[in-house]
Amino acid sequence: MRLNHSLVGANAFEKHLINRKRKKAWGKRGVVMALMLTSMVDMFSMLVVFLLQTFSSSPEILVTKGIELPNSLTPAMVKEAPVIALSKDGNLYLDQVLIGSIKKTVNSPSKLMNKLSEIKKSWGKSHPETPFPGQINMQADREVTSTLVSQVMGILTGGQFEAIELAVIGGGR
Amino acid sequence: MARKVGLGQKKELDAQLNLTPFIDLLSTCVCFLLITAVWIEIGSVEIKQSHGTQAAASKKISYDLDVVFRGEKSISLNLKKNGKRLKAINVKGNSFEDVLKQLDTAIVDKILGLKKKTIEIASATITPRSSVNYGQMISAIDVLRKNEIVNIGIISARGR
Repeated sequence: MRLNHSLVGANAFEKHLINRKRKKAWGKRGVVMALMLTSMVDMFSMLVVFLLQTFSSSPEILVTKGIELPNSLTPAMVKEAPVIALSKDGNLYLDQVLIGSIKKTVNSPSKLMNKLSEIKKSWGKSHPETPFPGQINMQADREVTSTLVSQVMGILTGGQFEAIELAVIGGGR
Repeated sequence: MARKVGLGQKKELDAQLNLTPFIDLLSTCVCFLLITAVWIEIGSVEIKQSHGTQAAASKKISYDLDVVFRGEKSISLNLKKNGKRLKAINVKGNSFEDVLKQLDTAIVDKILGLKKKTIEIASATITPRSSVNYGQMISAIDVLRKNEIVNIGIISARGR
């Protein structure tokens, strides 16, 4: 198979023209450039293969700004569910919306409970025949104390969100 | 090349490959995949509060494991059978990484290899402590999950 020379690269005459132009414009950069299509196609093909390999079909979960997730060696695939986030600065977010400080919410969880029951109700409306799975993703900063996390988990369990998925970054330390 | 009799007109052996649509397709593919690429792989660790998952109930002899954080450098393990404590192990180390190594060894040698036969842990319960941060707790959960202890619960403790 022979590739089309006119497309793949410059032929001898074109090269001669380019060289003549370069010689004329001494000190100036040559305007006419031969495009090396072979290497470009090679590079594109490699990029496509690499990107196809790293392509992931798992649902995209937004990580709340300012939260550094812990690493895990044994992560499972993340599921699509409401996201509760505990940031390093002590704030608690539900689906990217600020609820308040973690400590205040732990002491009086009524606001969080109301939001959770709203989510549950809207689930019931959109899935009338499916039982509520009680699934929730929890994103907590690695520096947050474990007792605070467990207390928030206690509130979630009280709000019938019993299947808690702790968000981690896969691939170990 | 000599023309053979009876083969008709000589066919062109060289095929012309038009690279333009090929490059177009590749460029589109690259753009699409770059836009949709996920650079940070987020996973999840399933947790059940205070008790394991329903799968644990089907096992005949159920051993349960309590993992109690005593501090950043100390963890207590309590192996239970039908609610009664069979064995208590204290794991200590110079650093948290050292504690995790000791925890792994203790689980493999003293818990899972109890009485020189392999046992199954139906559920594990973690008691957190305020001196232990969330990242460290996840590392401890990792050690449990690595040893096939997957029904993990966390006790909702008040800050100690």
